[in-house]
Amino acid sequence: MTIAAVDPIKFEVIRNALTQAAEEMAIALRRSAYSTNVKTRQDFSCAFFDKDLRSVSQAFTQPVHLGSFVRHVPIAVNRYGPENLGPGDMILSNDPYGGGVHLNDISLIGPVYWQAQLVGYTACLAHHVDVGGGAPASIGAFREVFQEGIIIPPIKFVIEDELDDDLFRLVLSQIRSKRETAGDFRAQIASNRTGALRINEIIDRYGLDEFDRYINEIIEYTDRRTRAEVAKLPRGVFSAKGFIDNDGFTDEVVKLEVKITIDDEGVRFDTTGSDPQRRAPVNSTFAQTYSACAYALRALMDRDLPVNDGFYRYVHVEAPEGSVTNCVHPAPVVGGWETHVRLNDLIFEALAPAMPDAICAGTKAMQCHSGFGGENPETGEYYCFLETLAGGYGGRSASDGPDAVQTHGQNTENAPVEETESNYPVRITRYELVPDSEGPGEFRGGLGLRRDYMFPEEATFTILADRDKAGPRGLFDGERGSKSVYALIKNNEEEHLSSKTTVQLQPGDVISYRTSGGGGYGPPFKRDPEAVLTDVLQGKISQKRARERYGVEIDLDDQSVNDSATQELRIGK
Amino acid sequence: MTDSSDARFRIGVDIGGTFTDGTLVDSISGQVTTSKVLSTPADPASGFISAVEKLLDLDASVSPDDIEHVVHATTVATNAIIEGKTAKTAFVTTEGFRDMLEIARQIRPSLYDLQFEKPAPLVPRQLCFEVPERLDAKGEVVTALDETALAKVVERIVESEVEAVAVCLLHSYRNPDHEQRIGKAIAARLPNVIISLSSDVVPEFREYLRASTTVINSAVAPIVSTYLASITEKLHAANITSELLVMQSSGGVYPAAAASDNPVFMVESGPAAGAVAAASLGTALGQPNVISFDMGGTTAKASLIRNGQPSITKDYSVGGAAQAGTGAFGGASGYPIRTPVVDLVEIGAGGGSIAWVDTGGALRVGPHSAGADPGPVCYGLGGKEPTITDANLVLGRLDPAYFAGGEMSLDLEVAREAIRVNCAEPLGLSTEEAAHGIVEIANTAMVNALRLVSVQRGHDPRDFMLVAFGGAGPAHAVRLAEQAGIPRVLIPLGPGTASALGLLVTDVRMEGSATLIVRSDEIDVSLISSEFARLEKAGRDAHRIAASASGEPEFERAVEMRYWGQSFELSVPSPVGSVIDQAWLDELTESFHGAHETAYGFRATDEPVELVNLRLTTVGKISRPQMRKLDNVDSDATVALKGNRPVYFAESSGGKGIIQSPVFDRSKLPAGAILNGPAIIEEPDCTTVIHPKWNVTVDDFGNLGIEQNR
Repeated sequence: MTIAAVDPIKFEVIRNALTQAAEEMAIALRRSAYSTNVKTRQDFSCAFFDKDLRSVSQAFTQPVHLGSFVRHVPIAVNRYGPENLGPGDMILSNDPYGGGVHLNDISLIGPVYWQAQLVGYTACLAHHVDVGGGAPASIGAFREVFQEGIIIPPIKFVIEDELDDDLFRLVLSQIRSKRETAGDFRAQIASNRTGALRINEIIDRYGLDEFDRYINEIIEYTDRRTRAEVAKLPRGVFSAKGFIDNDGFTDEVVKLEVKITIDDEGVRFDTTGSDPQRRAPVNSTFAQTYSACAYALRALMDRDLPVNDGFYRYVHVEAPEGSVTNCVHPAPVVGGWETHVRLNDLIFEALAPAMPDAICAGTKAMQCHSGFGGENPETGEYYCFLETLAGGYGGRSASDGPDAVQTHGQNTENAPVEETESNYPVRITRYELVPDSEGPGEFRGGLGLRRDYMFPEEATFTILADRDKAGPRGLFDGERGSKSVYALIKNNEEEHLSSKTTVQLQPGDVISYRTSGGGGYGPPFKRDPEAVLTDVLQGKISQKRARERYGVEIDLDDQSVNDSATQELRIGK
Repeated sequence: MTDSSDARFRIGVDIGGTFTDGTLVDSISGQVTTSKVLSTPADPASGFISAVEKLLDLDASVSPDDIEHVVHATTVATNAIIEGKTAKTAFVTTEGFRDMLEIARQIRPSLYDLQFEKPAPLVPRQLCFEVPERLDAKGEVVTALDETALAKVVERIVESEVEAVAVCLLHSYRNPDHEQRIGKAIAARLPNVIISLSSDVVPEFREYLRASTTVINSAVAPIVSTYLASITEKLHAANITSELLVMQSSGGVYPAAAASDNPVFMVESGPAAGAVAAASLGTALGQPNVISFDMGGTTAKASLIRNGQPSITKDYSVGGAAQAGTGAFGGASGYPIRTPVVDLVEIGAGGGSIAWVDTGGALRVGPHSAGADPGPVCYGLGGKEPTITDANLVLGRLDPAYFAGGEMSLDLEVAREAIRVNCAEPLGLSTEEAAHGIVEIANTAMVNALRLVSVQRGHDPRDFMLVAFGGAGPAHAVRLAEQAGIPRVLIPLGPGTASALGLLVTDVRMEGSATLIVRSDEIDVSLISSEFARLEKAGRDAHRIAASASGEPEFERAVEMRYWGQSFELSVPSPVGSVIDQAWLDELTESFHGAHETAYGFRATDEPVELVNLRLTTVGKISRPQMRKLDNVDSDATVALKGNRPVYFAESSGGKGIIQSPVFDRSKLPAGAILNGPAIIEEPDCTTVIHPKWNVTVDDFGNLGIEQNR
């Protein structure tokens, strides 16, 4: 397995330089951005594409963008016409039905020229906190995509290095959080320019012919490594099915099915059998579904494997048109991430019997958005805030699922309480683990978390989440994690809310999230009693739950396991 | 103190993983004496004192009374964290936020790893306590501190028999009253337990970062104070009663007593010394803009020095993944601290880094290292996988017979064989080509590190000089400079121990900060002035305890600023002049716009600017030792010529590969000597490789100044 006719040293040098270029784009974007969602929570990605629009190098903070962004960019450029893009131009696009996902994810794409020749494209995607539509932060249960915010087909937004002021004002007029969005757009421009500069430096050094040749080689190299990784996967057909609790308008569950076929050609994911699309927010575009499959495959491979066109060749996705896994216009899409991330859980569940040590039990596997806005009495501006909350991870064959962490495609940070309270009229009154929320198992699931928001002023609040009817599944006799709770607390009275709803809040109202714990792995009665003891001493699991769910009697005075009582509890289990 | 003509000697001790380095400097003559002893990880203080005693043995004319002060760099705090051996610590916070440390940032340290783990909190959940109380974002009391509940929490802390307590309440950076009352209540019952309040340690917003910093401070304090007490005792037993100073992560020193109270400021004590050494050398030579490059056995570190000052960051994690590219994202691994740390980019490329061919057929170097044991294949200690050192040996850049000054010989044949089998054959290359590839690939990663500290921070490498040291640094420096576009390289005298010298060329520095979070168009400038005055008073009080600093303290003021709505601040130095008025604010704001444009390529002049934190550093000046000039002066280098040997230089010989190159003995090079690459310059603890098209001038002090031919 040798690289014929290429200089392996030059190869590695160029490969690193391309990766570095994408990472520098990400640093520039994050540090100069305005919205909490981009600057703190890191909901963005950056990449370089070659002149044939093949993805070459990427800096991803969010695996959800793994497949979606790389599909969106070529489609957007081709729709606009590459011939219409000159030096210093950049196009903006967020069209879900043009290869995109939901409207908040806006991509900015610019051609890279070297000595008047087109050599590729830099592109960055940022999740903007608000894109207009029916509720602050542009999340909510709507009937059509038109209600979800401004739809931007590929349009030239930066012309010869100058932002098109007319368009800029038109776009901002549709958006609640104008100042933050304007700042984030400027940061996206800075990011693309940084990338273009680095690419130019690489070509200055090696020449364009060598640059093109080594890009081909980098993609072929990734192809070879991916092929070697696919060869290690078990051959066969694996399937699983599961449900999203409801669609946001009806209480009917949404069925998802996935069948995975692994052979020498790669991995084929087929979602046939999944429900038809709904006039409700749970629909996933093809790009979103593709992204879920690409992430799942990537997570089963060598951690060091680069991701570019050479990897994507092995990801084959069949998703029936008109289903919740490949919706058609004008279905709403903002909650498509719920479908996306649940597919991740299902894929790992399907593969569990064949790869028991590689996967994890059911995770939080919901996006769990919290979005709110209203008038900020301090500034008089309309403010919007968006975040997503963590939950429990699933147990693994040799370790517990970590507590309170983002799962699968999602890896966004929490917004610091002090920063949030300094910027917005809200008080976070509680942010803590939820004891006894884990899915019991030999290796237990992680705990979910609780976050309470108190509003001193009127506000509009949207919950866009799931898991309040059934917690994440366990594996190999491990049990389900706890269900989520979404509650409105008014005058100390608690009312449970739907997982997909928008509510108008009065001063003093509290919204409380308690997210689901992860599923357990293996029978809980086989759990090491000492591990149960640690959980009880830490207050993560109650003494009663230890006895009933794990068959372990904890002596709290002695802070020890009562061995004889435990033996008795575990007889016949 | 400092004016006593007798006490003219200063001692620096730097404890590393393998060796403890001691340096004794005569501050008048500039004479430097060094010692190297094996580190004693089980009891680092005993290695420390051996290094000191050895110095005094080497220079019999120095008596313990002649010592002006002793400066120490130690990894004792970092090691305690990495090895999970911190003190038993309790954490007290606002009701509802007990799990702040458990939840951390709610993210995973690696995106695609289904088997990941979150770092375990330094305080287990049963030792995290809540107290009913609450401030709002302006520091006003929303819920009064519940004294009855506090009393119960204090009793539970007493029962739990902890060695330290950390207190971090929401918005305490605005109003420390509740934290202070909690601190007093605990101290009343536990007078001997160390208590750290977040409003003292880092009074800055973002609760998790402040809590993490405070917890680290308290959790390492018992260990650090015991350690420093034991060192003081051993120094006293050796009749050395002069002041003990400790190197901070920021590159300044502080008295041992201050280090015992606030050890979180010294967690990256060791790496800072190298950057300080490079800064000092550059300044002394009239080159205040340098890039410091320190390459040892397992890692390489780069940092940037501008106007004689190392760059400082506050975005740092202890025990986290410290590698190129993660600077902005290193959040989920390790434990964040918000104290000033010399802005280093550290990558896993050292002499011991292992070369391999991956499943896609690419030649890779690192991240695995052969370390010191078994070490590179050529050491003959059982290493089987080829390393960067093996590659340098095969290329003729190292002399197999003159390693460690001839104390150890290297086995060229086994190194060749390892590279042939592991790298050359799978790739269809010759052994030399593969060895050359290993070095070049390692260089690429190091060039990235140099770019990250320069270009990435908005600095043009062409304006800098590369100061390279560490055992492996000088072998790579010239080629790195060539690739990174740095026109000049400086190799200091004694590169293997250069960083210990950094301990003796810095000042006492005490950091103070205050959070404002006010827009520039809404601020009352008198508030800035009164806050700076408050910080200055605290700085003067702290300064009084540092005996080695001479004269009145100096103050460095800076303001951390951003556009209103951004989250990352840029540190802007306060405009010169003591009056803080509107003109001062306008000038400060203009500096910020400029700094933002340099860093991110745009300025938003119409946007409001926000002043987030005020920082005031109190500097107690310590006089610099003189540098000693070489005795022999001659422009001819032949007196130092040891011979010639073939060295592989494919990158600059037009494809010829091997060039017969002269080899010089550095100890014999006279001041003023000039020589041209290709050449090899050897000394006991390292080898400098001069590539073709570069030339060397030895300066008056014996440093090698290397420049690209014009």
